[in-house]
Amino acid sequence: MANLDRESILALDNIRLDLPLAGAGSRCLAGLIDGCGVAVLLFLWLLLCSILAMWVSGGWGLAVGVAGIFLIEWGYFAGMEIATGGRTLGKMAVRLRVVTAEGAEAGAGSLLVRNVVRDVDYLVGVPLMAADPLARRLGDRLAGTLVVHEERQQSVLLGRVPPGWSAREVAIVESFLARAGELRDAATRDEMARLLLSRIERDAPELLAGLDESRAAAPVGALRQALGAEEG
Amino acid sequence: MDYARFLRLRRPLWDDFGRRLAALRDAPGRRRQAAASSYEEVEKLAFAYRQVLHDHALAATRFPGTGAARQLAALALAGTRRLTRRGVAWRGLRHFVFHTFPAAFHRQLGLLGVAAAVFGVASLLGLVLSAVQPGLGNLLLGPRALAGLAEGRLWTESLTTTVPPAVASSGIATNNLTVALVAWSGGVLAGVVPLYLLVLNGLMLGGVIGITLRYSMAGELLGFVAAHGPLELTLIMVAAAAGLALGRALVTAGDRPRTEAMRQAGNDSLQVVLGCLPWFVVLAVVEARISPDPSLPVTLKAALGLGLLLLFFGAALGPYRAAGDGDGGDGD
Repeated sequence: MANLDRESILALDNIRLDLPLAGAGSRCLAGLIDGCGVAVLLFLWLLLCSILAMWVSGGWGLAVGVAGIFLIEWGYFAGMEIATGGRTLGKMAVRLRVVTAEGAEAGAGSLLVRNVVRDVDYLVGVPLMAADPLARRLGDRLAGTLVVHEERQQSVLLGRVPPGWSAREVAIVESFLARAGELRDAATRDEMARLLLSRIERDAPELLAGLDESRAAAPVGALRQALGAEEG
Repeated sequence: MDYARFLRLRRPLWDDFGRRLAALRDAPGRRRQAAASSYEEVEKLAFAYRQVLHDHALAATRFPGTGAARQLAALALAGTRRLTRRGVAWRGLRHFVFHTFPAAFHRQLGLLGVAAAVFGVASLLGLVLSAVQPGLGNLLLGPRALAGLAEGRLWTESLTTTVPPAVASSGIATNNLTVALVAWSGGVLAGVVPLYLLVLNGLMLGGVIGITLRYSMAGELLGFVAAHGPLELTLIMVAAAAGLALGRALVTAGDRPRTEAMRQAGNDSLQVVLGCLPWFVVLAVVEARISPDPSLPVTLKAALGLGLLLLFFGAALGPYRAAGDGDGGDGD
């Protein structure tokens, strides 16, 4: 509870919500991707302007080119974040999003503020993020914003739980079932499933009724069936 | 309540809330759609959000680490992000031009005075330095421009002879806009960057006037800058004052947390800078097309310069009086 006001927010009725804050590493990765995106945009823009310059006289091709470069350099981040509700191409790739310190969608003003000081943040942003428990750079402090991970909601929920099982045991089984498909070592995976099945046999043998055949052939499937596991 | 029963009783509600949120997210023009939703729909959504929040609190305490707790945490966060909003929403361009910008500008008048004083002192210093240090001309303008001055030509003539006006306008506008944005954003470094820009620009202006005085070309220089100079220098000072507001919030936050003081000053001063940006574009056209034109009389250029300055101050101060006090800053 010590860091209640620093690492979590209080929503309606003072209910605590923990924000999945993005650290300096993932934010730098998103920034790197955005940097590449800006470079590609600038290249395409210059290409377009050089073609335009061949058709239009009076230096208008160059004039539009100069104005466009300014807009891309100063407007890409703010423009993207305003248009997409707090995401740039890099943030989309790394699954990050800008929100207010209250966890709400950031407004256009906040998104503008945090991006206009980006040049200063190129100098001091990374150390500031590393030193701050909320991983805020200067722009975030000015705008009152945070960058959070967009959590994938894929999880497994157990429809039946043997009596006496604690939340920790439920969480372990759910995590195992959620990841079982990704485990490469099939023998170890099946062995773990059999161990869990033996626990169920001890605590609630009625859950295993009719699963004798599948327990031997496909223990993970039997475990799913026994506990009524569903994708969340 | 055991975990399985909790899931059986409450999960349909979570799924329903998730579907409603997804519908809100996927709907085209979602804000308008949300605004147009019936009261009953909004009430249902708010009720479901509250139930999800309470279930999240229960799951976090009774079933920490479980799939239900994780799913509820994600749903509660998504709901909070979608259904709550901080600050005042954008009220349209008209409100910004006629109320928000003038109100923010008025709040910054004191710092504009400070910026003007710093700039004026630096200009005087530049003038004196150019008088006592003849070598300054070489440093500021370069030997080529000095040779031109000796022959009775200003270096500004190159604006019309070497670069097409469209390119010059674009280059001048983007350069001035960059200076204004850097002056503001550099304010977060305790106001050092805007101060540096004010002193540098003041020294350069004073120095250049001093050098042209020596070559008896000051009249020609003032004729060149008459149309765009007054407003351009004012806008640079306004942007620097906005940066100083940020620096002041950092240095003298008072009894508020520094972050909070800077956030408030940042929102307020950025509105002033944003209000100035369109004027830089107008000025760039004047500087590239009217200022270097030798066929236009200096009196006309001076009248234009004065007119632009009055227009700007009219827009920045005039509507504010009509609107009255009380705009605390439209943060978001």
